[in-house]
Amino acid sequence: MNCPEEIIVYMHEYLDDDLDPEHEQVLKDHLGTCKACQTVFHEMKKTVALIRSTANVHAPDNFTQSVMAKLPKEKKKIGMQR
Amino acid sequence: MDALVKKRIKQIKKGDQDAFAEIVELYKDKLYQLGYRMLGNRHEAEEIAQEAFIRAYVNINSYNQEYKFSTWLYRIATNLCIDRIRKKKPDYYLDAEMAGTEGLTLYSRIPSDSPLPEKEVEMMELQETIQGEIVKLPEKYRSVIVLKYIEELSLNEISEILDLPLGTVKTRIHRGREALRKQLRHV
Repeated sequence: MNCPEEIIVYMHEYLDDDLDPEHEQVLKDHLGTCKACQTVFHEMKKTVALIRSTANVHAPDNFTQSVMAKLPKEKKKIGMQR
Repeated sequence: MDALVKKRIKQIKKGDQDAFAEIVELYKDKLYQLGYRMLGNRHEAEEIAQEAFIRAYVNINSYNQEYKFSTWLYRIATNLCIDRIRKKKPDYYLDAEMAGTEGLTLYSRIPSDSPLPEKEVEMMELQETIQGEIVKLPEKYRSVIVLKYIEELSLNEISEILDLPLGTVKTRIHRGREALRKQLRHV
């Protein structure tokens, strides 16, 4: 299969909401006829969904207290004078 | 929220540490998450996130209010992560990659006496695989992928955070996404 090189670029631009309408039509037309590129496009979208699915770690419970305890002392005095 | 952040920053500049504690509460999960996905383990994620907040506090007077505060904060944290990745020696780097698979976030939520349902085990393994592949990306692709897909930032914000032209950010996202596609297509 000899697909135009720019088709892959259009796929990426599409995923970044960065594809102009003219090129979007070219991409759609091509995907309508090319199984191989459909597969690549599907894999790209799946990859994005997988990366997004990992976003769920949280800072430890005592995080803020630890940071506050490590701040330089001088500023603390200024704060207490107010 | 932006108005609240602006108000707190004024208070911090006057030396009000309680106002800073509020800022830490607001952004702690975001910076911790960034550190975790960039560096691959919880210990370093906590260190980096703490260091970023301390630097932000100490340098608060150099923050330019024309920019979003979160952009400035992300910039500090991202630079710390990148410095740390670059300083890692190759053998230590390998350790870190293995440590990157320690993201057993589901373990902690399940009581230890109940057996792990098969589906959750599969889910955990999948999460480990994805995290492992993110951490294996070269640093320049890892940064943009984490900022875009984990932190959900716009391309313009990423360009400001990394101090890179928008075109470079786009190219790196394309290459990073392509590399991950090849690694994750069969999972």
